Amino acid sequence: MDDFLTPNEQNLIIEDALRSYPMATMPKSITELVLARIQTEPVPRFQFTRSDYVLAVVLSLVLGAILFALQSLPPYALIQIRIQGILLWQSFLVNYRWLLPFTSIMLGLSLAGFAFLQLLRPQRVEQ
Amino acid sequence: MDNEQTLIQRAQKGDHAAFAALVDDHQRYVYNLAMRVVKDDNEALDLTQETFVRAWTALPNFRGNSQFRTWLYRITTNLCYNRLPGLRRSLADLGDDVLPDIPESDDAPTNPARELETSETRTYLHHAINGLDANYKLLITLRYRDELSYDEIAGLLNLPLGTVKTGLFRAKEKLRIALANYHAEEQWTIS
Repeated sequence: MDDFLTPNEQNLIIEDALRSYPMATMPKSITELVLARIQTEPVPRFQFTRSDYVLAVVLSLVLGAILFALQSLPPYALIQIRIQGILLWQSFLVNYRWLLPFTSIMLGLSLAGFAFLQLLRPQRVEQ
Repeated sequence: MDNEQTLIQRAQKGDHAAFAALVDDHQRYVYNLAMRVVKDDNEALDLTQETFVRAWTALPNFRGNSQFRTWLYRITTNLCYNRLPGLRRSLADLGDDVLPDIPESDDAPTNPARELETSETRTYLHHAINGLDANYKLLITLRYRDELSYDEIAGLLNLPLGTVKTGLFRAKEKLRIALANYHAEEQWTIS
Protein backbone atom coordinates (compact mmCIF):
# COMPACT_ATOMS: atom_id res chain seq x y z
CA MET A 1 0.00 0.00 0.00
CA ASP A 2 0.95 3.62 -0.34
CA ASP A 3 3.06 4.69 2.63
CA PHE A 4 3.04 8.34 1.48
CA LEU A 5 -0.54 9.03 2.48
CA THR A 6 -2.61 7.89 5.42
CA PRO A 7 -5.69 5.75 4.70
CA ASN A 8 -7.89 8.72 5.48
CA GLU A 9 -5.99 10.94 3.06
CA GLN A 10 -6.18 8.25 0.40
CA ASN A 11 -9.89 8.04 1.02
CA LEU A 12 -10.31 11.78 0.56
CA ILE A 13 -8.43 11.72 -2.73
CA ILE A 14 -10.39 8.72 -4.01
CA GLU A 15 -13.71 10.25 -3.06
CA ASP A 16 -12.73 13.49 -4.73
CA ALA A 17 -11.95 11.54 -7.91
CA LEU A 18 -15.22 9.62 -7.65
CA ARG A 19 -17.26 12.79 -7.25
CA SER A 20 -15.41 14.61 -10.03
CA TYR A 21 -15.56 11.68 -12.46
CA PRO A 22 -16.88 13.44 -15.57
CA MET A 23 -20.21 12.58 -17.10
CA ALA A 24 -20.22 10.97 -20.51
CA THR A 25 -20.98 13.52 -23.22
CA MET A 26 -24.02 12.75 -25.32
CA PRO A 27 -23.14 12.77 -29.01
CA LYS A 28 -26.64 14.00 -29.92
CA SER A 29 -30.00 14.72 -28.38
CA ILE A 30 -32.51 11.90 -28.59
CA THR A 31 -35.61 13.98 -27.84
CA GLU A 32 -36.79 14.03 -31.47
CA LEU A 33 -36.22 10.29 -31.86
CA VAL A 34 -38.15 9.52 -28.68
CA LEU A 35 -41.00 11.81 -29.72
CA ALA A 36 -41.16 10.17 -33.14
CA ARG A 37 -41.51 6.78 -31.46
CA ILE A 38 -44.07 7.76 -28.87
CA GLN A 39 -46.30 9.48 -31.44
CA THR A 40 -47.23 5.99 -32.55
CA GLU A 41 -47.54 4.67 -29.01
CA PRO A 42 -50.34 6.50 -27.20
CA VAL A 43 -50.33 6.39 -23.42
CA PRO A 44 -52.12 3.18 -22.47
CA ARG A 45 -55.12 3.92 -20.31
CA PHE A 46 -57.13 1.54 -18.21
CA GLN A 47 -60.71 1.72 -19.40
CA PHE A 48 -63.70 -0.59 -19.78
CA THR A 49 -64.87 -1.38 -23.29
CA ARG A 50 -68.45 -2.21 -24.26
CA SER A 51 -67.59 -5.91 -24.54
CA ASP A 52 -66.26 -5.85 -20.95
CA TYR A 53 -69.67 -4.67 -19.74
CA VAL A 54 -71.52 -7.24 -21.87
CA LEU A 55 -69.26 -10.04 -20.61
CA ALA A 56 -69.74 -8.95 -17.00
CA VAL A 57 -73.55 -8.93 -17.38
CA VAL A 58 -73.59 -12.36 -19.07
CA LEU A 59 -71.32 -13.90 -16.43
CA SER A 60 -73.41 -12.41 -13.63
CA LEU A 61 -76.61 -13.79 -15.18
CA VAL A 62 -75.11 -17.25 -15.63
CA LEU A 63 -73.76 -17.36 -12.06
CA GLY A 64 -77.07 -16.07 -10.73
CA ALA A 65 -79.00 -18.66 -12.71
CA ILE A 66 -76.78 -21.49 -11.44
CA LEU A 67 -77.14 -20.37 -7.82
CA PHE A 68 -80.89 -19.93 -8.24
CA ALA A 69 -81.23 -23.36 -9.84
CA LEU A 70 -79.19 -25.03 -7.09
CA GLN A 71 -81.24 -23.40 -4.38
CA SER A 72 -84.51 -24.29 -6.10
CA LEU A 73 -83.73 -27.99 -6.45
CA PRO A 74 -85.23 -30.38 -3.90
CA PRO A 75 -82.73 -31.94 -1.43
CA TYR A 76 -83.22 -35.37 -3.01
CA ALA A 77 -82.11 -34.06 -6.42
CA LEU A 78 -79.05 -32.40 -4.88
CA ILE A 79 -78.01 -35.69 -3.27
CA GLN A 80 -78.48 -37.46 -6.61
CA ILE A 81 -76.29 -34.90 -8.35
CA ARG A 82 -73.58 -35.34 -5.74
CA ILE A 83 -73.71 -39.13 -6.06
CA GLN A 84 -73.53 -38.95 -9.85
CA GLY A 85 -70.59 -36.59 -9.59
CA ILE A 86 -68.70 -38.99 -7.31
CA LEU A 87 -69.44 -41.91 -9.62
CA LEU A 88 -68.26 -39.92 -12.66
CA TRP A 89 -65.03 -38.98 -10.89
CA GLN A 90 -64.42 -42.59 -9.83
CA SER A 91 -65.06 -43.74 -13.39
CA PHE A 92 -62.54 -41.19 -14.63
CA LEU A 93 -59.94 -42.32 -12.11
CA VAL A 94 -60.40 -45.99 -13.08
CA ASN A 95 -60.64 -45.72 -16.87
CA TYR A 96 -58.90 -42.50 -17.87
CA ARG A 97 -56.33 -41.93 -15.15
CA TRP A 98 -53.58 -41.91 -17.76
CA LEU A 99 -55.05 -38.70 -19.15
CA LEU A 100 -53.64 -36.61 -16.28
CA PRO A 101 -49.89 -37.34 -16.78
CA PHE A 102 -50.37 -37.53 -20.54
CA THR A 103 -51.94 -34.07 -20.68
CA SER A 104 -49.28 -32.64 -18.36
CA ILE A 105 -46.45 -34.08 -20.44
CA MET A 106 -47.98 -32.91 -23.71
CA LEU A 107 -48.52 -29.42 -22.32
CA GLY A 108 -44.92 -29.29 -21.04
CA LEU A 109 -43.55 -30.47 -24.38
CA SER A 110 -45.65 -27.91 -26.25
CA LEU A 111 -44.39 -25.08 -24.04
CA ALA A 112 -40.78 -26.26 -24.37
CA GLY A 113 -41.16 -26.46 -28.16
CA PHE A 114 -42.67 -22.99 -28.30
CA ALA A 115 -39.86 -21.57 -26.15
CA PHE A 116 -37.26 -23.27 -28.33
CA LEU A 117 -38.80 -21.84 -31.50
CA GLN A 118 -38.78 -18.37 -29.94
CA LEU A 119 -35.08 -18.73 -29.16
CA LEU A 120 -34.35 -19.72 -32.75
CA ARG A 121 -36.03 -16.59 -34.12
CA PRO A 122 -33.55 -13.82 -35.05
CA GLN A 123 -33.41 -10.91 -32.59
CA ARG A 124 -35.08 -7.71 -33.80
CA VAL A 125 -32.64 -4.80 -33.85
CA GLU A 126 -34.33 -1.53 -32.99
CA GLN A 127 -33.00 1.70 -34.37
CA MET B 1 -40.95 27.18 -16.66
CA ASP B 2 -43.02 24.28 -15.36
CA ASN B 3 -41.64 22.28 -12.49
CA GLU B 4 -41.01 18.59 -12.88
CA GLN B 5 -44.14 17.50 -11.05
CA THR B 6 -46.34 19.52 -13.38
CA LEU B 7 -44.51 18.17 -16.41
CA ILE B 8 -45.01 14.61 -15.19
CA GLN B 9 -48.72 15.18 -14.59
CA ARG B 10 -49.13 16.71 -18.05
CA ALA B 11 -47.15 13.87 -19.64
CA GLN B 12 -49.33 11.33 -17.82
CA LYS B 13 -52.31 12.90 -19.56
CA GLY B 14 -50.61 12.36 -22.93
CA ASP B 15 -48.91 15.74 -23.40
CA HIS B 16 -45.99 15.08 -25.75
CA ALA B 17 -44.43 18.51 -25.23
CA ALA B 18 -44.28 17.96 -21.48
CA PHE B 19 -42.67 14.57 -21.98
CA ALA B 20 -40.17 16.10 -24.43
CA ALA B 21 -39.18 18.58 -21.71
CA LEU B 22 -38.64 15.67 -19.31
CA VAL B 23 -36.52 13.87 -21.91
CA ASP B 24 -34.46 17.05 -22.39
CA ASP B 25 -33.89 17.35 -18.66
CA HIS B 26 -32.92 13.75 -17.94
CA GLN B 27 -31.45 12.24 -21.08
CA ARG B 28 -27.81 13.06 -20.30
CA TYR B 29 -28.05 11.40 -16.89
CA VAL B 30 -29.67 8.29 -18.31
CA TYR B 31 -27.12 8.24 -21.13
CA ASN B 32 -24.29 8.62 -18.63
CA LEU B 33 -25.52 5.64 -16.61
CA ALA B 34 -25.98 3.52 -19.74
CA MET B 35 -22.56 4.53 -21.05
CA ARG B 36 -20.86 3.49 -17.82
CA VAL B 37 -22.32 0.02 -18.22
CA VAL B 38 -22.24 -0.72 -21.94
CA LYS B 39 -19.16 1.36 -22.91
CA ASP B 40 -20.43 1.93 -26.44
CA ASP B 41 -21.82 5.22 -27.77
CA ASN B 42 -24.44 3.75 -30.05
CA GLU B 43 -25.62 1.13 -27.62
CA ALA B 44 -25.83 3.70 -24.83
CA LEU B 45 -27.87 6.00 -27.08
CA ASP B 46 -30.13 3.11 -28.00
CA LEU B 47 -30.60 2.21 -24.33
CA THR B 48 -31.38 5.82 -23.48
CA GLN B 49 -33.95 6.04 -26.23
CA GLU B 50 -35.52 2.74 -25.20
CA THR B 51 -35.63 3.89 -21.58
CA PHE B 52 -37.71 6.93 -22.46
CA VAL B 53 -40.03 5.02 -24.78
CA ARG B 54 -40.71 2.54 -21.99
CA ALA B 55 -41.06 5.36 -19.51
CA TRP B 56 -43.76 6.86 -21.73
CA THR B 57 -45.76 3.65 -21.83
CA ALA B 58 -45.30 3.07 -18.08
CA LEU B 59 -45.90 6.68 -17.11
CA PRO B 60 -49.50 6.13 -15.92
CA ASN B 61 -48.06 3.75 -13.31
CA PHE B 62 -45.60 6.33 -11.95
CA ARG B 63 -46.96 7.34 -8.57
CA GLY B 64 -44.14 9.63 -7.49
CA ASN B 65 -42.97 7.34 -4.68
CA SER B 66 -39.42 7.88 -5.88
CA GLN B 67 -37.75 10.65 -7.82
CA PHE B 68 -38.50 10.62 -11.53
CA ARG B 69 -34.82 10.17 -12.38
CA THR B 70 -34.50 7.23 -10.01
CA TRP B 71 -37.54 5.69 -11.67
CA LEU B 72 -35.88 6.19 -15.07
CA TYR B 73 -32.70 4.59 -13.73
CA ARG B 74 -34.71 1.55 -12.71
CA ILE B 75 -35.90 1.16 -16.30
CA THR B 76 -32.35 1.70 -17.59
CA THR B 77 -30.83 -0.89 -15.28
CA ASN B 78 -33.52 -3.41 -16.18
CA LEU B 79 -32.69 -2.86 -19.85
CA CYS B 80 -28.99 -3.24 -19.03
CA TYR B 81 -29.75 -6.49 -17.20
CA ASN B 82 -31.58 -7.74 -20.30
CA ARG B 83 -28.76 -6.82 -22.64
CA LEU B 84 -25.92 -7.91 -20.38
CA PRO B 85 -27.05 -11.06 -18.60
CA GLY B 86 -23.69 -11.25 -16.82
CA LEU B 87 -24.21 -7.88 -15.14
CA ARG B 88 -26.83 -9.03 -12.66
CA ARG B 89 -24.75 -12.09 -11.85
CA SER B 90 -21.58 -10.05 -11.35
CA LEU B 91 -23.45 -7.70 -9.01
CA ALA B 92 -24.97 -10.56 -7.05
CA ASP B 93 -21.56 -12.27 -6.87
CA LEU B 94 -20.17 -9.30 -4.96
CA GLY B 95 -21.68 -10.91 -1.89
CA ASP B 96 -22.42 -9.04 1.29
CA ASP B 97 -19.33 -9.51 3.42
CA VAL B 98 -19.18 -7.52 6.60
CA LEU B 99 -16.78 -4.73 5.72
CA PRO B 100 -15.48 -1.85 7.79
CA ASP B 101 -17.27 1.41 7.13
CA ILE B 102 -15.17 4.01 5.46
CA PRO B 103 -16.45 7.46 6.39
CA GLU B 104 -17.39 9.58 3.42
CA SER B 105 -16.34 13.15 3.57
CA ASP B 106 -17.18 16.40 1.83
CA ASP B 107 -14.22 18.18 3.41
CA ALA B 108 -12.86 21.22 1.72
CA PRO B 109 -9.26 20.84 0.62
CA THR B 110 -7.78 21.91 3.94
CA ASN B 111 -6.16 18.56 4.51
CA PRO B 112 -2.46 18.47 3.51
CA ALA B 113 -3.18 15.42 1.38
CA ARG B 114 -5.66 17.44 -0.63
CA GLU B 115 -3.01 20.02 -1.33
CA LEU B 116 -0.75 17.29 -2.65
CA GLU B 117 -3.48 16.08 -4.89
CA THR B 118 -2.80 17.32 -8.36
CA SER B 119 -5.02 17.30 -11.36
CA GLU B 120 -2.75 14.56 -12.68
CA THR B 121 -3.64 12.31 -9.77
CA ARG B 122 -7.30 12.95 -10.37
CA THR B 123 -6.96 12.23 -14.07
CA TYR B 124 -5.07 9.04 -13.27
CA LEU B 125 -7.84 7.93 -10.92
CA HIS B 126 -10.48 8.81 -13.52
CA HIS B 127 -8.69 6.46 -15.91
CA ALA B 128 -8.64 3.84 -13.17
CA ILE B 129 -12.39 4.30 -12.64
CA ASN B 130 -12.86 3.95 -16.38
CA GLY B 131 -11.07 0.62 -16.27
CA LEU B 132 -13.29 -0.82 -13.54
CA ASP B 133 -15.83 -3.52 -14.32
CA ALA B 134 -19.35 -2.42 -15.32
CA ASN B 135 -20.85 -3.53 -12.00
CA TYR B 136 -18.51 -1.26 -10.02
CA LYS B 137 -19.03 1.66 -12.39
CA LEU B 138 -22.78 1.29 -12.10
CA LEU B 139 -22.57 1.45 -8.31
CA ILE B 140 -20.11 4.35 -8.37
CA THR B 141 -22.22 6.38 -10.78
CA LEU B 142 -25.37 5.94 -8.71
CA ARG B 143 -23.60 6.70 -5.45
CA TYR B 144 -21.23 9.51 -6.32
CA ARG B 145 -22.66 11.09 -9.46
CA ASP B 146 -26.32 10.87 -8.58
CA GLU B 147 -25.79 10.83 -4.83
CA LEU B 148 -28.35 8.11 -4.19
CA SER B 149 -28.38 6.53 -0.75
CA TYR B 150 -27.32 2.92 -0.24
CA ASP B 151 -30.96 2.01 0.32
CA GLU B 152 -32.05 3.69 -2.91
CA ILE B 153 -29.32 1.91 -4.87
CA ALA B 154 -30.24 -1.43 -3.31
CA GLY B 155 -33.90 -0.89 -4.19
CA LEU B 156 -33.09 0.27 -7.69
CA LEU B 157 -30.78 -2.63 -8.52
CA ASN B 158 -32.86 -5.13 -6.56
CA LEU B 159 -29.83 -6.12 -4.49
CA PRO B 160 -29.31 -6.61 -0.76
CA LEU B 161 -28.02 -3.53 1.04
CA GLY B 162 -24.88 -5.41 2.07
CA THR B 163 -24.04 -6.20 -1.54
CA VAL B 164 -24.22 -2.53 -2.49
CA LYS B 165 -21.92 -1.58 0.38
CA THR B 166 -19.51 -4.41 -0.45
CA GLY B 167 -19.43 -3.41 -4.12
CA LEU B 168 -18.64 0.21 -3.32
CA PHE B 169 -16.03 -0.81 -0.75
CA ARG B 170 -14.30 -3.08 -3.24
CA ALA B 171 -14.40 -0.43 -5.96
CA LYS B 172 -12.68 1.96 -3.59
CA GLU B 173 -10.15 -0.69 -2.66
CA LYS B 174 -9.26 -1.11 -6.33
CA LEU B 175 -8.82 2.64 -6.63
CA ARG B 176 -6.73 2.66 -3.48
CA ILE B 177 -4.37 0.13 -5.10
CA ALA B 178 -4.31 2.23 -8.28
CA LEU B 179 -3.45 5.30 -6.23
CA ALA B 180 -0.65 3.45 -4.44
CA ASN B 181 0.74 2.28 -7.78
CA TYR B 182 0.58 5.82 -9.11
CA HIS B 183 2.56 7.21 -6.20
CA ALA B 184 5.04 4.36 -6.39
CA GLU B 185 5.59 5.14 -10.09
CA GLU B 186 6.00 8.81 -9.30
CA GLN B 187 8.55 8.15 -6.56
CA TRP B 188 10.45 5.81 -8.85
CA THR B 189 10.53 8.49 -11.57
CA ILE B 190 11.81 11.13 -9.12
CA SER B 191 14.51 8.86 -7.75
